[in-house]
Amino acid sequence: MSMLANIFTAAHEQYPTLNASLVLLAIVAPLAAALSLSVAGRLTDGAVRTMTVVGFAIPALIALWLWPSYLLTQPDGGYAFTSRSFTGLQTFGISLYLGLNAIALPMFVLAGLTGLAAALYTLKMGIDRLRLFVVLLLIMQSGLMGVFASIDVFFFYFFHEFALIPTFIMIAIWGRRGRKSVALEMTIYLTLGAMITLAGLLLLYLEAGVSEFTIPALQMAFYEGNLDNWIYVLLLIGFGILVSLFPFHSWAPRGYATAPAPVAMLHAGVLKKFGLYGLIQIALPVLPDAAASWGPLLMWLALANIVVIGLVTVAQRDLKLMLGNASVMHMGYAFLGLYAFSVIGVGGAILMMFAHGLSVALLFMLADGIERRCGTLDMPSMGGLAQKAPVLMAFFVAATMASIGLPGFANFWGELAIFVSLWKSEAPWVLIPAILGIVISAIYGLRAVASIFYGDSPAQPIQGGDLSKTEKLAGVVLLVGLLVVGFWPRSFSDAIHQSLVDSPFAAYEVQHVHTFED
Amino acid sequence: MLGIVLADSLFMIFIFWELVGFSSYMLIGHYLKKPSAAAASKKAFIVNRVGDFGFLLGIILTYWTFGTTELTALAAAVDVNEGTVSAALGLLLFCGVLGKSAQMPLHVWLPDAMEGPTPISALIHAATMVAAGVFLLARVFFLFTPEALTVITWVGLITAFSAAFWAFAQNDIKKILAYSTLSQLGYMVAAFGLGTTYGLAQGGDAVLYGLGAAMFHLTTHAFFKALMFLGSGSVIHAMHHEQDIYKMGGLLRKMPVTGITFLLGVIAIAGIPFISAGFFSKDAILFVAKLQSTPAFVILVITALMTATYMGRLFVVAFLGSARSEAAGHAHESPWVMWLPLVILSVFAVGGGYMVLYPGVLHGILDGAVLHPKGSDKLLMVVISIFAGGGGLLLSWLFYGRNSGNTDALEAKLPAVFNVSRSRFWFDELYSAYVTKVQQRVADLIDFLDTLFIGGLLVRGAAGVAGLFGILARSLHTGSVSAYVWWFFTGLLLFLAYATNVFSLF
Repeated sequence: MSMLANIFTAAHEQYPTLNASLVLLAIVAPLAAALSLSVAGRLTDGAVRTMTVVGFAIPALIALWLWPSYLLTQPDGGYAFTSRSFTGLQTFGISLYLGLNAIALPMFVLAGLTGLAAALYTLKMGIDRLRLFVVLLLIMQSGLMGVFASIDVFFFYFFHEFALIPTFIMIAIWGRRGRKSVALEMTIYLTLGAMITLAGLLLLYLEAGVSEFTIPALQMAFYEGNLDNWIYVLLLIGFGILVSLFPFHSWAPRGYATAPAPVAMLHAGVLKKFGLYGLIQIALPVLPDAAASWGPLLMWLALANIVVIGLVTVAQRDLKLMLGNASVMHMGYAFLGLYAFSVIGVGGAILMMFAHGLSVALLFMLADGIERRCGTLDMPSMGGLAQKAPVLMAFFVAATMASIGLPGFANFWGELAIFVSLWKSEAPWVLIPAILGIVISAIYGLRAVASIFYGDSPAQPIQGGDLSKTEKLAGVVLLVGLLVVGFWPRSFSDAIHQSLVDSPFAAYEVQHVHTFED
Repeated sequence: MLGIVLADSLFMIFIFWELVGFSSYMLIGHYLKKPSAAAASKKAFIVNRVGDFGFLLGIILTYWTFGTTELTALAAAVDVNEGTVSAALGLLLFCGVLGKSAQMPLHVWLPDAMEGPTPISALIHAATMVAAGVFLLARVFFLFTPEALTVITWVGLITAFSAAFWAFAQNDIKKILAYSTLSQLGYMVAAFGLGTTYGLAQGGDAVLYGLGAAMFHLTTHAFFKALMFLGSGSVIHAMHHEQDIYKMGGLLRKMPVTGITFLLGVIAIAGIPFISAGFFSKDAILFVAKLQSTPAFVILVITALMTATYMGRLFVVAFLGSARSEAAGHAHESPWVMWLPLVILSVFAVGGGYMVLYPGVLHGILDGAVLHPKGSDKLLMVVISIFAGGGGLLLSWLFYGRNSGNTDALEAKLPAVFNVSRSRFWFDELYSAYVTKVQQRVADLIDFLDTLFIGGLLVRGAAGVAGLFGILARSLHTGSVSAYVWWFFTGLLLFLAYATNVFSLF
């Protein structure tokens, strides 16, 4: 172990700029792959596939390299591997300022792993006009890596849009029935959310009077002015729309059900986390008083996410709609973690974001595999798939168990930390409906498993056999991430804790501990 | 399960607790083709989740009350500050026991769990899973207040009595054993409640009486229940997967080893004095009940009588008399790999009780925690055991033994009682009505409202309003020059009015 650890630290000491360049490379590599795929002339199918795998494998491997490197070289949870490239916008305080802190790291790893899995699945699912699709997917991946590596707020926002636009196009072209209207609705809705967010961010920048538009500069400014409540509401609603906070969630289930599986994996798994990430990195630390005063509203909306959407999920017959709703429901937990406004609550929310991203991506991938085998997504008319595809069943059960918070998967730690934090929130009773949610998710999760896999063969014959090697590899990439953090949560939580104790939440935490000891 | 036993923190117990739940979910659902197996495994997991809901709340409450969930630290903390424990905390933790140890009203999953393969049933019912709940009680006994203990006692008593009553209407050999497990678990939970209440009043180490009695019975029960489950597996194997006892009969002559070991198991669960493990542990429970509460004692004695009777019924119908079906006529003894475990377990079922009375394997662990009757009480307890156990067996022989037909004697003679027993007090009907009529409908309604109001009115409505503005704005652009001239003049007038401060006049 220590030899392995030496490799990471030695590399960091010998080449101090290595890791910073790797961060940049993780963003550039998929973009370069996309560019070369689009300008190159006639290419064989094999060349396109190789290019795709390379374009997605580089960010994933970089993320896996940076994860231990960060833990070993940056124990205080602050920004590491930073680099600054000037863009000609210095006068506005904008530059391509990249780096990772303990909150960005899990998201960066999540983006890398999910991207690789989505790419592998894309190559296997037999999609039309593969080359165009992977070009768009690579652009999206580049944006995803960029979002969470940006310290500069302008680029943080820019990369989000960069990833979002290909999403709309892919849904509009490759989506299933009703794709045009869904793509339109999603475009308008999410652009609206992004614009509200932008308004909030710009107001904050102007009001806080900082010299550069970066996350640490804003955090340092710790804005306390007359406008703080308004700015916070703008950010909450803007980011909230992007994370499908109740009642701004209606785009999500239909959007995910309609989108081609790799897009649903990347959007529900990774891109959606942009909103929560923005709230955690910017809104909460910079506007703690406003966040505290809007806490009750957030609490009610998050509870609605869990209980109302939880019940909506129970009512679904369509597998992908069920997963889409379930993903909306689980975001409620993350929001509750923010509402609890403590180190453990926010830390739990971050773990939850990471875990949910991997598990929901896995579920969307498997759901698509199930649809291709059963020829339908209507759960009551499926059945008996276990005999044809036992490995598929094993993956599906594992993913379902992960998403309902079975210990051993990362999701458990996120949920547990959030539950523990809720007891010390303003309204401890929230814990009761929140935990009730785990019963609801068990109901719909197991019902899906029972109706898809158990029983005799359905009326419609099952096409194809078990998962192919590539699909298994994609599943393993996601599942291993869940299990590693599930068995060793400190691989993230220690650093997250270090990074959060310096934030304004810590002040609240200390109060709690004192009242407890008195 | 080993994790639960070894864990010293409630959070760790919860983790392994969930993993046991998950494993049993997969094992109960082993027969993938059977829809009933899917339903049973789902039910087991979800019902356990309902229990875990309270358990997790209890753990979090414990954590914030004491600042730790380490059991040793907790015990010390409770010792130092008397009165810090609330009844709610204990009852929330007990919710976990309700689920795992299948106490009323969360008992419904256990009989259905018989859908799994028979070795799984033996494992789940004898050694793991259901034992976890009782074991948890023993680990956190210091967290219960007298009020909480009263609730625990009555939950246990009601479960013990009802499940014993329900067992009379079951014809499936594994279902009978399942209800007997339920009933015996109720016994253990009641024993824990009664013994701990009694011990609290006595002070000192007497507080251990409850967990001693419960754990002792848990251990002996594991021997004879595993024995009987494996015995039933041997029977089912010989009968070519026939599980109805009214299709059996006369099996004692056909499969002597299985039959005799099964009989030893029946004797053990009936608690016949001195030749069974069940006697000693049941005796300890009854004695504690007698000291603590007369109504509880009466219920437990009646339950013991019923236990002996329905187990006698099982044995009399399946193993004695003449064969009731062709399969029973052709049944043969199972191979030695199947009967050897039976013989080993039957040794423990007979002798397992002595380990507490005489220096033995478990002497140092449970000794002192199990209360034993002395003097005249001793004789009284033996008499009661003979009455309950022996009387029950005799009753079953008299009642069921002379009937060689394919119908149940109770059903024929007292149909009303039989039907009430068969109904299992309508718990399953109630729950399934809740799931299909209430839960599903509420979910459908909320789904409908969500689609209508949020997805429809709010989002589409907003889109519609935006579209309306578009139409209005478009209608202004008529393309005719004279219209634009009019717009131009209107604008000019407004501009002049603003410039000359006309608006401030209003």
